[in-house]
Amino acid sequence: MRLTVNGRAAEVSPEPGERLLTTVTERLHLTGTKFGCGHGECGACSVLVDGRLTYACLALTEACDGAAVTTVEGLATGETLAPLQRAFIAHDAAQCGYCTPGQLIAATRLLERNANPTENEIKVGMSGNLCRCGTYPKIITAIQAVARGEFAAPAR
Amino acid sequence: MPRKKASPAPRKGFIKTIVEVEGRTETRVVEIPAFEPTPWGPDTALETVGTRAVRVDAGEKVTGQAKYTADIARPGMLHAIILRSWVARGTLVSVDVDAARKIRGVIDVIGPGDAPAKTRLFPRKVTYAGQPIAAVCAESLHAVTAGIRALRAKIETAPFAATFEAATAPDAPLVRSKGNVAEGSPVVNARGNLARGLARADVVIEREYRTPVQLHSAIEPHGAVAEWQGDQLVVWESTQGIFRTREQLAEGLELPQSRVRVIKQYMGGGFGAKNGAGPHTFVAAIFARRTGRPVRCVNSRKAEQSDSGNRPATTQRVTIGAKRNGTLTAISLSADIPLGVGGWEGGPGQLYHELYACPNVRTEETFAYVNASAMQAFRAPGYAEGAFALEGAINALAAKLGMDPLALRRRNYAKTDPRKKRPWSGNALLECYEQAAARFGWDTRDSRRGPAASRAQVRRGFGMAAQIWPTGGGPPAYAHVRINADASIDLLTGTQDLGTGARTILSQVVADAMGARLSDVHTVIGDTGSLPYTGNSWGSMTTPSVAPAARMAAEDARRMLLDAAAPMLGVPLGKLETRNSTVCVRGTDRSMTFAEVTKELGDVMIIGRGTRGPNPLDVSVATFGAQFAEVEVDTRTGVVRVVRIVAAHDAGRILNPTLAESQLEGGIIQGLGYGMFEERVLDPATGLQLNPDLHDYRIPTIADTPVIDAFCVGQADAAANHTGARGLAEPPIIPTAPAIAAAVADAIGAELHEIPLTPWRVLAAAGEV
Repeated sequence: MRLTVNGRAAEVSPEPGERLLTTVTERLHLTGTKFGCGHGECGACSVLVDGRLTYACLALTEACDGAAVTTVEGLATGETLAPLQRAFIAHDAAQCGYCTPGQLIAATRLLERNANPTENEIKVGMSGNLCRCGTYPKIITAIQAVARGEFAAPAR
Repeated sequence: MPRKKASPAPRKGFIKTIVEVEGRTETRVVEIPAFEPTPWGPDTALETVGTRAVRVDAGEKVTGQAKYTADIARPGMLHAIILRSWVARGTLVSVDVDAARKIRGVIDVIGPGDAPAKTRLFPRKVTYAGQPIAAVCAESLHAVTAGIRALRAKIETAPFAATFEAATAPDAPLVRSKGNVAEGSPVVNARGNLARGLARADVVIEREYRTPVQLHSAIEPHGAVAEWQGDQLVVWESTQGIFRTREQLAEGLELPQSRVRVIKQYMGGGFGAKNGAGPHTFVAAIFARRTGRPVRCVNSRKAEQSDSGNRPATTQRVTIGAKRNGTLTAISLSADIPLGVGGWEGGPGQLYHELYACPNVRTEETFAYVNASAMQAFRAPGYAEGAFALEGAINALAAKLGMDPLALRRRNYAKTDPRKKRPWSGNALLECYEQAAARFGWDTRDSRRGPAASRAQVRRGFGMAAQIWPTGGGPPAYAHVRINADASIDLLTGTQDLGTGARTILSQVVADAMGARLSDVHTVIGDTGSLPYTGNSWGSMTTPSVAPAARMAAEDARRMLLDAAAPMLGVPLGKLETRNSTVCVRGTDRSMTFAEVTKELGDVMIIGRGTRGPNPLDVSVATFGAQFAEVEVDTRTGVVRVVRIVAAHDAGRILNPTLAESQLEGGIIQGLGYGMFEERVLDPATGLQLNPDLHDYRIPTIADTPVIDAFCVGQADAAANHTGARGLAEPPIIPTAPAIAAAVADAIGAELHEIPLTPWRVLAAAGEV
């Protein structure tokens, strides 16, 4: 079966019942997407499937035939980081960094749906992604900064 | 050319001294370094230290390039899973592996008798639910999962004791071979005369508090990848201690330490649970030896939540006596702590001896083994538990005395260390009280008390609590600084960055010590195969232990660089200074960049060496803080919303304020989880955990995040060590839960004696159920 992952076509032959998380990390070697729980509880494996925010640990790969998948590796354009990535760096929104790829994917989707979210909308939109280090205040600040357009121009 | 007689190199010495880890002290041999840099005092001007330098590895983290243990894939790698006990106590009768071995892709199975004795893996005696009993490895995750399902194990069940009460009852089932009460219990520590102190009191309060088992719940589960390279075992492990992991692997597998190499570049949170080799590590290493192939073994979330360490529960009976003016005359604690099947005695008692200047203090702690997974250190072990009870009792005392809780704490401020009876190296707790109270609006809180007009059932409350945590760090810690031929600078030290920012702050320290640009410094950590020893990243010790060693190595390297530059510039050494990666001749415009000097040197490499010297014995080193909480309580439903936390902490010099704030916010949010939601629940009938996941075991989400105003006060602590920095990672978790509980009590007019503050407990305290 065929997936388009971060804009590139990929042929994969998943095992029956294989989850998209396994396909992306073990077969396509895109290890930015993380395993945290395997049950859709933590959000570390968040990816976009045809633009929809998806827990890759729950999604069956076979059900994604023909889909476009975006992982954290697909957020930057070449060497140029996405505004959210630059904002996360500038506002120290990653401590250990393990949940960060999922947070960035969820934040990307949030801003696509709502370019100017209130703090409460950020909290609701991001509440499916756990962070045990407690970077939440910094994540809120980083998303707000991007919504204000502060990171629109790439840093040189 | 005649050789000049070398002056004798400065020699190191060795002494026996007292070292402190996680609040416990022991006597050890430590090194006296060849020289100690002049302390960076409060007035020392530094270029890079103290700035908000961006985390040096943030780019890797936001692009998915940072490789965590589970991301390591080796050619031909196998996947392993551990089968765990589903009963709390019994005897493993048999493990039938035949069906599992027949599954396509399964390569090997191990069970009782297959692991080296010193790994203590797969014992026949089952003592807790979640205990490893066998393991499978296979070509793929798919095959290994099928293999585990096909294993047939038989356990004969036996009566168990999963609570303190059950384990200490007469005729209780034995958890270990000896009695269930830990050797040495009860642990009694006392100063003064408790009875006399209570007799002198005008007011005495007695309370009983309970705290739950809290689970570390790092988003990255424990994991290891093991590979034999020739006769060397290479292990990638998510660990807070690469050298301790190496030591335990070498001991368990009976290998020389030099034949074991442990690597950790990135890890997804530790919080105390990742301090050494675990069953997953040994399983990966054993399979790798048996199969000759690399093996990865990563915990499932269920294994992570049920058998990877926890903060043990406590029951704390507290008695406090005070004069009418609030002066404490006596503090007494009697505590019961069920440890699980193992662990160490990091009890709540010590905080009671340290936080307040009270002449008569007695603590008695009884530790018991129970049929549940072993405890491990969890961010401020003992102190977070102790603070909920002691600070709750202090708040109750304030109410009984009709005193402001802040005024009561100020009155009993410990000007010197009341336990060790010596001065503090530095202590800005009064400043923490003052600044946090001002930013919180503590004195004007009554004006914000009224219920919201539209929500008459919602009441607002305000509370506070204080904190102490021993954060001196100490030896041994070693560092090398090498200046490469192009003048780029490597700091080499065998420490770990847990997400705390160690890489960043160590680079900052080296930059200032060398007079180099931060961008020229690269910190290399996390590999026992090539780096000098440092200890575990626990006890908030990494900064105060490793930063001085890094600074000394950098100053050593700088001295050699100047030795080389002086003849090139034709001036005596004393005329040289360094800044911005340039050697300058003082008072002139003559200079050479570091790169110009190293170009002259060619491949002659400058390597500076640094050692962490012993701690001062005449002062106590600790980090202090105060937190203020504002909550809203729905008195009809018992639901609590934490609205705001204001936190001020004193950790000496702050090497990077942004990273310090991240630590404070993270500790506060974990403390909020401890106070509000987190509680491991064991089924009393079976001893099985009812919430081994992240759904029913609830940690804070972004939606639970209050407004947090967290900041550091105080100044560089030159008496603690020559960088002036103390530890900061653990302290912020300590006062959060008691501050929230005090605010809830303030809102509903009734005390809370047990966390987490579930709606049921809040309603029960308010007399609504």
